[in-house]
Amino acid sequence: MVDDRFSDPLSPLLQRLLGGVPLLEESPTHVLEVVGVLESYGEVLDAYSRNLIYQGEQQFLNPFPVFRFFNGEFSLGRLWRHLNHDRINFEYAEYCQKAMLWHGTGGLDAFLESGRFTGICQQVAHLKQRHDPLLGLLSALFPRFLPELIRSAATTHALGQFWRVMSDLFLGLARAHREGRITSIASVVEFVKQGLVAAAGLPIRYAVQLHGGTVAILPEDAKLTFLTDVAVPYVEAVFLRGMPFLGTLSFNAQATQIPHDQGQFGYGALFADPLPTMGAGIPPSLLMQDMYRHLPRALEDVYRSQGRGVVDIHVKICMSFQKAMFCVTNGAINGTMPYPLDDPDPHHRSANRNHCMAWLERLRQARLAALEARGPETIRTPGHR
Amino acid sequence: MTTAAAPPILSLVLLAPLVSAPGLALAPGGLSPVWLRRLSLAVLTVQLLLMVAVLFRFDPSSGRMQLLEQVPWLGALGLDYRLGVDGLSLPLLLINGTLSLVAVAISPLTTPRPRSYFALLLLISGAVNGAFLAQNLLLFFLFYELELIPLWLLIAIWGGAGRAYAATKFLIFTAVSGVLILVGFLGLALATGSLDFSLNPALSQQLGLGTQLFLMGALLVGFGIKIPLFPFHSWLPDAHTEASTPISVLLAGVLLKLGTYGLLRFCLSLFPQAWAVLAPGLAGWAAVSVLFGSLAAIAQTDMKRMVAYSSVGHMGYVLLAAAAATPISLLGSLLQMLAHGLISGLMFLLVGVIYQTTGTRDLTILRGLLNPQRGLPLTGGLMILAAMASAGIPGMAGFVAELMVFRGSLLTFPLATLLSMVGSGLTAVYFLLLVNRAFFGRLATEPGGKPPALLPLAGFVQQVPAVVLAAVVVVMGLWPQGLANLAVASTSALGQPTGGPLADIAMAGTGQPPASGLLLEETAHGGR
Repeated sequence: MVDDRFSDPLSPLLQRLLGGVPLLEESPTHVLEVVGVLESYGEVLDAYSRNLIYQGEQQFLNPFPVFRFFNGEFSLGRLWRHLNHDRINFEYAEYCQKAMLWHGTGGLDAFLESGRFTGICQQVAHLKQRHDPLLGLLSALFPRFLPELIRSAATTHALGQFWRVMSDLFLGLARAHREGRITSIASVVEFVKQGLVAAAGLPIRYAVQLHGGTVAILPEDAKLTFLTDVAVPYVEAVFLRGMPFLGTLSFNAQATQIPHDQGQFGYGALFADPLPTMGAGIPPSLLMQDMYRHLPRALEDVYRSQGRGVVDIHVKICMSFQKAMFCVTNGAINGTMPYPLDDPDPHHRSANRNHCMAWLERLRQARLAALEARGPETIRTPGHR
Repeated sequence: MTTAAAPPILSLVLLAPLVSAPGLALAPGGLSPVWLRRLSLAVLTVQLLLMVAVLFRFDPSSGRMQLLEQVPWLGALGLDYRLGVDGLSLPLLLINGTLSLVAVAISPLTTPRPRSYFALLLLISGAVNGAFLAQNLLLFFLFYELELIPLWLLIAIWGGAGRAYAATKFLIFTAVSGVLILVGFLGLALATGSLDFSLNPALSQQLGLGTQLFLMGALLVGFGIKIPLFPFHSWLPDAHTEASTPISVLLAGVLLKLGTYGLLRFCLSLFPQAWAVLAPGLAGWAAVSVLFGSLAAIAQTDMKRMVAYSSVGHMGYVLLAAAAATPISLLGSLLQMLAHGLISGLMFLLVGVIYQTTGTRDLTILRGLLNPQRGLPLTGGLMILAAMASAGIPGMAGFVAELMVFRGSLLTFPLATLLSMVGSGLTAVYFLLLVNRAFFGRLATEPGGKPPALLPLAGFVQQVPAVVLAAVVVVMGLWPQGLANLAVASTSALGQPTGGPLADIAMAGTGQPPASGLLLEETAHGGR
């Protein structure tokens, strides 16, 4: 647990949270970085969201979804751009979806484990078996195969809905910044918190068209909502836990290099090494490539003027992205705070404190250095002429 | 008077840098460092083009000296201006031309006293040309000594913090080397009564074995210091550590080769009988030098010292091959000189880029330099290539050279060759240690998990010389026949027994195919 003693590095962060001060230190550069990178992230999330929703609705149980990234608009030109990698890395969205599917926390996961969902799966299987012999055979041979696919599709669609909201929120943040309403990190955190709270009650629902009929995979009466059932599990799965990213670094489960307890995973965005090698968690390359496509001019100019210019721009974007994600996490912590921070009731204050301490414990190994206002300096040693 | 009908091209090769050097140093006006470097590059480009012209006029089928030029000079002293080129000296001449150009190209414009600096570089290049072309013992000695002075100055003035110590040590060692070589040459002249100091292998046959051994011993130690061989090596790591990158490139790539060239040209050629007697001991010396150099390299944490000690080891192969004196091994010894010149030149160049960028060469500090965005990925890639080439990975220059050395020496000196092969394996050990420590892992961060420190960018233009050298290393590995065909007649002639026990040694590998035939056979069958 967080120790209040001066030596604990989390202690100042706890004080900041309880005092209503943002985790990320205030600086004009931080504001530029966070707002700029969230704007590009908003553009990217818009594309991710559209594709995930398309996949959930139009590619449902497609055994060979070869063209799933085309959003139903196939052309030779698009195929060339796809093969030439002149495109958004939708693979990253799938990676996040798999992280959510695998870690599975919150109300969405509880529903996917429920008997109600099993019934829905049986209904889908029944409908599919009549029209799709391959799936019918696979379903008969491997009874858990189809439900797993449907779970995956449900998570895909839910993540698409979540990112739809977040995309609008981040693009709105950029608009507010241009209009002069956002001038500090505190106002960024407050904007995100207000956005999350406003969207908290939005329903999460998902229905597919199957052979002329409509099947509700996530029915409205399951009462799944934005904040507690998708947003918080998303932060848990993608910001905190994540997965050792294949191809970036091999982790050996047998050598206990991966914790047995999924809750102890620390491979998420807030833990990720911004350098593109030897970094656990999200690969900077995919998401950073996408964000570079939509980077606001002002922020790009700042990056170009620093260090190696565009050569290491993905690393710079990733470092700014982590700062921005700390702000979003900060907004989520504040948004889910049990009681107002100025509540005088000692029990309520204690509950707030426990809430913050639980979050901070998860951040103990995170890239807390990103919170400081100073940036990296160019090495200067006596060897330099 | 020139004996050749065509223009005296060897004299032009020699004089182009030698005349330009004082011209550059004394030129009036305030020439900027940019122009000084451009002029030096122009001179060295002309020099290289002249060398290429020599290459076209050279007849590789002959093992004799060609394009001879002679002008009587100080006949009373036995010092005649006699130049010539054969298959042994021509490749070394070309590598001198190439690496001199590289050294000037990578010299920073911020170098203090640029006028003197570039003039001295030209002087070194010219002196080395002279040493490789000289067909008179005193003329060789003159150029051999002439090259020492600018090198000493370049270390003493433009070197690192410990330059005074390193330069003095270099001077003392190489001065002793020069004295011993002079003793050898003068002794030969006095003992034979032939005061024209010509390069005549028949001279020593009129001497007793004891006299031959004494004179050749003096030359052996003299050139052994220059090469350097264990235990005369200790000046080299210090000189490399303190020398600036261009000087290290020249030192490793060219200047050490004066020692091995002298070994073949003077020790082996002039004293074949004594050579044959000492050959087993020389092979043992070579194996010790190889193993010492390799083991010492493993223990280093300074990249430059590691590469320097690797030179001690790799020069041992040349001695081993020379000791065996078979046609194959002698061709291998020349290829090893060339391969080492290119590979070590490349390595010092890359270490220079790392030092300039990170400010350190310490392998306990450097980490993760292969990082594609914040590290030095091109430098790292080339360093891995250089390490592979040095370790003798097929497809690169080091493999061809080492294969020829080992194949040519194995039957003559099996134990020494096997021990040297262990040294070749150790090369992979220390260079993999270097690559693993400095280039793999996570890029070094500041203490306390702070954000990664930013390294300045090493631009592509800065790395062009390294890319060119790396390309030559690969081309030589894939197409060694070009060089081998150029040199094989001359190197085979070096090993031709002139009588006595050398015949036994040279023939010990009976049944071995001619060197050029073997090379074709090896490359055709993938070196099996």
